[in-house]
Amino acid sequence: MVPKGLLYTKDHEWAKIEGDIVIIGITDHAQNQLGELTFVELPDVGKEVKQKGELAVVESSKAASDVYSPVTGKVIEVNKALQTKPEIVNDECYGTGWICKIRVTDKATTENLMDAAQYEEYLKGL
Amino acid sequence: MAEKMTAGAFVFESPASSPVGSVLYDEHLKLTDKSHIAEFAGYLMPLWYSSIAEEHSAVRQRAGIFDCTHMGALEVVGPNAESFLDAVTTNNVRTLQVGSAQYSYLLDAAGNVLDDIIIYRREKEKFMVVVNASNEPKAKAYLAALQAGKTKIDLAKPDRKIKTAPVRDMRDTKTGPDCRVDIAIQGPSSLDVLCKLADASVGQQLKNLKSFTFCQAKLANIDCIISRTGYTGAKVCFELFVHPKDAAKLWQKLIDAGALPCGLGARDSLRVEAGLPLYGHELAGPYNISPFEAGYGWAVKLDKEFFIGKAAMEKISKTCKMKVARLELSGEKGVRPVRQNDAVICGGVCAGWVLSSATAGSRQIAIVYMDKDKATEGNSVDVYYLARSESQKNKGRKQAVQQGERINGDITGKVVSRFEKF
Repeated sequence: MVPKGLLYTKDHEWAKIEGDIVIIGITDHAQNQLGELTFVELPDVGKEVKQKGELAVVESSKAASDVYSPVTGKVIEVNKALQTKPEIVNDECYGTGWICKIRVTDKATTENLMDAAQYEEYLKGL
Repeated sequence: MAEKMTAGAFVFESPASSPVGSVLYDEHLKLTDKSHIAEFAGYLMPLWYSSIAEEHSAVRQRAGIFDCTHMGALEVVGPNAESFLDAVTTNNVRTLQVGSAQYSYLLDAAGNVLDDIIIYRREKEKFMVVVNASNEPKAKAYLAALQAGKTKIDLAKPDRKIKTAPVRDMRDTKTGPDCRVDIAIQGPSSLDVLCKLADASVGQQLKNLKSFTFCQAKLANIDCIISRTGYTGAKVCFELFVHPKDAAKLWQKLIDAGALPCGLGARDSLRVEAGLPLYGHELAGPYNISPFEAGYGWAVKLDKEFFIGKAAMEKISKTCKMKVARLELSGEKGVRPVRQNDAVICGGVCAGWVLSSATAGSRQIAIVYMDKDKATEGNSVDVYYLARSESQKNKGRKQAVQQGERINGDITGKVVSRFEKF
């Protein structure tokens, strides 16, 4: 499941660009690999992150995995619901299971991501 | 922490090879996405089909089946089979009755645990030895080295000889009709599932099977060795040893009769919840944990005249200061799970480490290796989470904690009984 209109990274994060705000989450492939999530470590609001820098940690009973930022910017909002209901990421990774919102400070970092077709092609090669 | 004992150790390097699908590989592909299949001990095995939690709960409430066809099964036969096995394993093979099975250990002369095994006495002079998939090549090589007189037997008496017996790989197709692979069915309704596939007299036979006994009978017209054994802590549990050509058919019959296929994920969370050891974690492994520390001193018969590794076991039984214990912690969603190597903290001081952990419903169970004196049931203990990521490391979270180091824990739990049955 790879929705059109989102941008993707090789580390299986998605980014939805809305002006200079980017909503970030992990892809269906990523949540499927991890299994049921039991814990999400959200970034602090105000944190400045670089593209490919560490943003969050998602943990299932079997694995802990880093979530990297698809873009360079500043965290402006986090999805607090995940603190008590991390399984939302499994249920709706592209919707209510979003992780955080970032205000982009380097526009170029929104331009080197994969589109849905490219990401699907990338998944086939794994 | 015991140092690995090197003098007289049996050293084996497993040859590198690419993983192969298990006997039931095609069945797994019918049931789950390829992305849920991973390499384990040289085999491509399912991690889960639907979800670990769902499969775990199926085994606790109903019945689950597991592909254990990767487990090693060796046959030891002949007039010397009993004395050979009695010398190379820690439990007492001489008192093992035909139709019964026993848990035991394979040690080298230095006392290192090479594997934990189950020995089934099928006839007076015919045994089946089930070994861990990950240790199978090593166990086979070790028994062959003993037969060839190429490895040490007794460090104190270098001229000691033992009688050896022929060993045959029961999973090798060259073994012919005796060839066997293992499928496990575990959980409260597993007897009902088997009875659906058995005629009335076999059903009665299965009802009468006691723990660690077995029989040979037909299920769905397939010849099986059926044993009342398992690795999930379920009180009602069976392992079915069938010819590989019948494995897929039996697997499907079990599903049709109501059993849920379960992957390696649930296999691990179930055994952790029950407190059962996994070789490399709660036995041997980086802490070189002995059977005495693991809670299985009863399977090491120090009153036997001789077994390989006995001198080392006598010493360890008297000197060990650590033990394997089971902790219960909150496992509510949103609680960070504890993981292997996280530190066990008693009174603000590191007293040991997590060996394995699992989520079971709303609780987490951790099997830990800790100071024996502090592992009393009911004691409150904390766990410190090691750094899981670069950013945590940068914030000062440690990557390792030494025993005796002063540090505050992150989550509080308590020591519970070493084992639990369901």
